[in-house]
Amino acid sequence: MNRTELEHILKQLHRDAYIWARQCCQFDDELAKDMLQQSYLKILEGKAKLKDPKKAKTWLFSIIRYTIIDEYRKAGKVVPLEESYDPIDTIEEVDSTDYEGIIKKLPEMQREVIMAVFYHQMTIAESAEILQINVGTARTHYERGKKKLKELIQKSQLIEQNGK
Amino acid sequence: MLHSFFSEMKKQDQQLEIPEFPETKVKAINWWLPSGIAASFLVGCFWFFQLSQAPEAPAEVIIISLEQGENNEQQIIIEEKAFIDTWESTTSSLLTDF
Repeated sequence: MNRTELEHILKQLHRDAYIWARQCCQFDDELAKDMLQQSYLKILEGKAKLKDPKKAKTWLFSIIRYTIIDEYRKAGKVVPLEESYDPIDTIEEVDSTDYEGIIKKLPEMQREVIMAVFYHQMTIAESAEILQINVGTARTHYERGKKKLKELIQKSQLIEQNGK
Repeated sequence: MLHSFFSEMKKQDQQLEIPEFPETKVKAINWWLPSGIAASFLVGCFWFFQLSQAPEAPAEVIIISLEQGENNEQQIIIEEKAFIDTWESTTSSLLTDF
């Protein structure tokens, strides 16, 4: 695949890629822009190669995610594995329309699988490919994330109703 | 519940300002740099081989010999030859005569 074709694919996926980068960066716009640029650079310099054009989206999302993980690692912001598995108890109140705030309350892996499946309409298998984990693990994150997210939404709605 | 949550979230994201796709330019190779390196390499090779070559034998060899003349006087004979290999001592007869 030549550079022009690659650029064409990247342009087509640009909006989704930016949104995904933002979601992986805890909705930090500036960091998302930087990470996206770094990911494009990696691709166009040939450091990451697309073998199957049908899997362009999962391939691009995976590169973005790993570029962000690398950046966090450099900055010393690494989330321990247990933390990404166990649900975090929420104490502070979140507005039911603060979608990003609610999503942020999910553990990292659950959040990424849930965003890939519900927001980007990917399958659990595709989300597993992006996260470089096996499908069974991705399914576990999906189930736990779904349950946790429902609880968070209900909680925020309840708080809002009681407030009114 | 989750589907309506995400459709609302997507609606909100419609307001997001998406950055422009970065214009990427193919890095133009500055040919001066590789040309300079290649030229320096060639000059280096040239000097190296020139220095390592054995000095060529002079085209002509001047042979100066001292001989005794008929009247017992000494005389210097200067000869010019192409190669020293072909030179025969003019005094070699002295060895055989002696």
